[in-house]
Amino acid sequence: MNIVALVKQVPDTEAQIRVKPDGSGIDDSGIKWVMNPYDEFGVEEALKLKEKAGGDVTIVSVGPARCVEAIRTALAMGADKGIHIDDPTLNNADAYTTANALAAAIKGIPYDVIFCGQRAIDDDSGQVGSILAELLDLPQLTIITKLDIEGTTAKAVKPIEGAQLLIESSLPCVITAQKGLNEPRYASLPGVMKAKKKPLEVKDAAALGITADAKAQVAKTTAPPSRPPGKIIDGADAAEKAAQVAKLLREEAKVI
Amino acid sequence: MEHTTFSVGNEGRQVFWNAEYFELILFLFTAVALVIFAYGVYRRWQMWKAMGKPEIRTDNMGERIKILLRDGLLQLKTFKDIYPGIMHAFIFFGFFVLIFGAAFDATEFHITEPLGWAFLRGNFYLVFSLLMDLFGLLVLIGVLMALDRRYLQKPDRLGYRGKPDNKPDDAIVLLLIGGIIITGFIIEALRLYVTNPSWGHWSFVGWIISKAFVGIDHGTARILHKVMWWTHTFIALGFIAYIPYSRLLHIITTSANYFMSTLKPVGYVEPIADFENAESFGMGQLEDFTWKQIFDSDACTRCGRCQDGCPAYLTGKPLSPKKLVQDLKTYWLERAPKVMAAKKAAGPEGEPEIPEPEKAMVGEVIDLHELWACTNCMYCMEVCPASIEHVPKIVGMRQYKVLMEADFAPELQLTYRNMENNSNPWGIGAHMRADWAKDLGIKTLAEDGNVEYLYYVGCAGSFDDRGKKVAIAFAKILKAAGINFGILGTEEGCCGDSAMRGGNEYLYQTLAQMNIEAMNGYGVKKIITTCPHGYNALKKDYPHFGGNFEVYHHTEIIADLIAKGRINLKKPVDGVFTYHDSCFLGRYNQIYDQPRNVLKAVPGLKLTEMKNNHTKSFCCGAGGARMWMEEDIGERINDVRTDQAIEAKADHIAVGCPFCLTMMVDGIKDREMSEKMDAADIAEIVWKAMGIEEAQPEPEGESKEEEKGGEAAS
Repeated sequence: MNIVALVKQVPDTEAQIRVKPDGSGIDDSGIKWVMNPYDEFGVEEALKLKEKAGGDVTIVSVGPARCVEAIRTALAMGADKGIHIDDPTLNNADAYTTANALAAAIKGIPYDVIFCGQRAIDDDSGQVGSILAELLDLPQLTIITKLDIEGTTAKAVKPIEGAQLLIESSLPCVITAQKGLNEPRYASLPGVMKAKKKPLEVKDAAALGITADAKAQVAKTTAPPSRPPGKIIDGADAAEKAAQVAKLLREEAKVI
Repeated sequence: MEHTTFSVGNEGRQVFWNAEYFELILFLFTAVALVIFAYGVYRRWQMWKAMGKPEIRTDNMGERIKILLRDGLLQLKTFKDIYPGIMHAFIFFGFFVLIFGAAFDATEFHITEPLGWAFLRGNFYLVFSLLMDLFGLLVLIGVLMALDRRYLQKPDRLGYRGKPDNKPDDAIVLLLIGGIIITGFIIEALRLYVTNPSWGHWSFVGWIISKAFVGIDHGTARILHKVMWWTHTFIALGFIAYIPYSRLLHIITTSANYFMSTLKPVGYVEPIADFENAESFGMGQLEDFTWKQIFDSDACTRCGRCQDGCPAYLTGKPLSPKKLVQDLKTYWLERAPKVMAAKKAAGPEGEPEIPEPEKAMVGEVIDLHELWACTNCMYCMEVCPASIEHVPKIVGMRQYKVLMEADFAPELQLTYRNMENNSNPWGIGAHMRADWAKDLGIKTLAEDGNVEYLYYVGCAGSFDDRGKKVAIAFAKILKAAGINFGILGTEEGCCGDSAMRGGNEYLYQTLAQMNIEAMNGYGVKKIITTCPHGYNALKKDYPHFGGNFEVYHHTEIIADLIAKGRINLKKPVDGVFTYHDSCFLGRYNQIYDQPRNVLKAVPGLKLTEMKNNHTKSFCCGAGGARMWMEEDIGERINDVRTDQAIEAKADHIAVGCPFCLTMMVDGIKDREMSEKMDAADIAEIVWKAMGIEEAQPEPEGESKEEEKGGEAAS
């Protein structure tokens, strides 16, 4: 089976995010970059499928040179080869441009199933998987927490408010991974060492025959407002403190 | 040979009295016994050589001979446990003296007497006789003590979870030794009865027994003597032949193990040298161990001292260091002959076709719950009277699971990812590492590299809420004492101890190298740590990777500041304190006194000891990467340790390690003793006793925490 898994490199969840003074984005310096955690679920599911059905796993990623680390991480986990789409015109691209680049790269290789994270934790747009499916004219199973692929049929579970949908689709299709789908594996050391030697193709926009065609633009990036400090209630005893709290909840917070 | 005449003034005895025409038969059977013995040892030698990677354990011969004399000849390690120590000493020293005595007899009879010199005469003979009887008696007492212990007292350590692991040879060996002594005394008694020398009472045991024969005619006594003599001889020869086929082999293997003791610092685990080109990592099969690591298991006598203080075993986890070593030994006994046969079949030139093992060593021979239960507390290695090295084997097998198979607890995987991404096990943003020091006016080496000490804060001091309080207290002490120090700030990284002990040597070395680069970049020479794990790693492991520093633990520094009068402890701190030895400070680095001396210097403070202290201290449960793992089998180790503090009637548990601090605080909570007890780092206690912040209402850390709680709620 030809399995494709898409990965995006994002700032670590704990990284300190500083907005550039001109509001044009975030300051990259000092940031630890990691593979998008939702994409990790996708990579893990791809590897599990490979273990079950055979075939190989190709990792595709769009982004600047540093993204190689994210691809190598997936290769260390057990993926077989990587395609890195690296073009300055695609940096900080919108969801459509990214999906378009990915679609162009994937069209050039055989595929039976395409995995990606249901969204990336940096911009939280959650659109790339769906747009990609449209561009490739494939069915899409989104926000999946359980998957079973038999032959050319995928059965997937998608949680919705108060219920679960059981979705069935033929292959090929695009599956976007949600937390709970699996526990991504820790790369073994021989895996890490082998990953350094696995094939990794770098392609630019010209090689893929695409141009950046943004449908959406980020107008401005701002930091969230800083939270006001907590308040310590003073009082002689519990009853007095409770009275204080009640008063503040009514007069200041206006919730009761 | 004509009978020599013995008399008062020329006391002696005729060696081999009443044993006419014995020589040829005796020599024949002795030869048979020696051949059986030699074959057994040779066969074992082949088995020791069958598997294992090379390792040099014959360097520094002077030191090795010293260890052999100390732990072998003088039995100092065995003596550390009183009852079994005395028991073993009686048998060991008794036998030693008796063998020398027999050698004296034989030398005189076969060599010197025919040359006309009999030295076992007169006063020398009398003292000799007395000593032989005395030591014979001691051996007998030792054997009785051993029988009593193994078959009547039945301590848990001579088994596993209440089930004795006695083997037939345990009894056979004791019966052989007892048999040699008893028959020896009986033949002595019969000889004394018949020859009746006036100095007979010098052989006091035989002399007393001889009184029982009164009334028997001399002819019968002589026949009885002859029968007993041959019985004695056959048991003794049987004993010699039996050595390589029974637990008696420990006479050879344990002595050899003393000689081949590790001369490396406590807790040393051989670093993996070449990640790029190695084909496998860690110990997944016996062949991955060094020959010495395999040989270790053959030196084990199943005494169970390791098990007796193992925090994992005592809290109901499946690990027992004794069982682990014995399971490896059983597996080796199965595998070694197969490997030897394959090698023999292949011939000296051919490539042996070694049969695939039927079971996985890690996972089947050694259960994974056993493997991961170890806290690396080093109790087993501290007390093992055979100098077996358990912990490096455990770390090696963990390396195999982590590096080769990437098959280990998910919570530990998360910890390692956190260490990879943010250089701390909690996974808190690396940029926040120096936030604790913000308002304290502590300089970073980037700001001013001209300092005497680098304070390596470590992850707990940097990120853990309680750990930060310790770091703040210690930094304030240093400032008050006028010490010129700095921190690395955000250039500091995790020391990697938990990665190393948890088998992730690759991650460990990556982290170590980053720290060493930063430290060497500033020309750091002296380092203080507030965490014994960092202390141990920086002091003893970093030199392998080019980091050579003088490393101090903060309790050493504080003890020194007090001794030199650079800080003044004037404010009484009332209450009963007990000091909990951190394993990585105590057993790993022999720092037992400094923390106690600091506490003793605090006015008003009363110090008491828990049941387990100093070298026999009981782990908090957080070492060996256990800090980051679920503890879901048996009782919690920290709760059991807290019970010891409660038993000691302490109101405060003093610690010198942030992991221990967390564990003791949790233990106090679990035992619902928070109202009556608390735990604190030595630095916090000292800062309080310095009385500098007296005027302030509450330590600022407290209110900050409340603020944080408020935030979380909002």
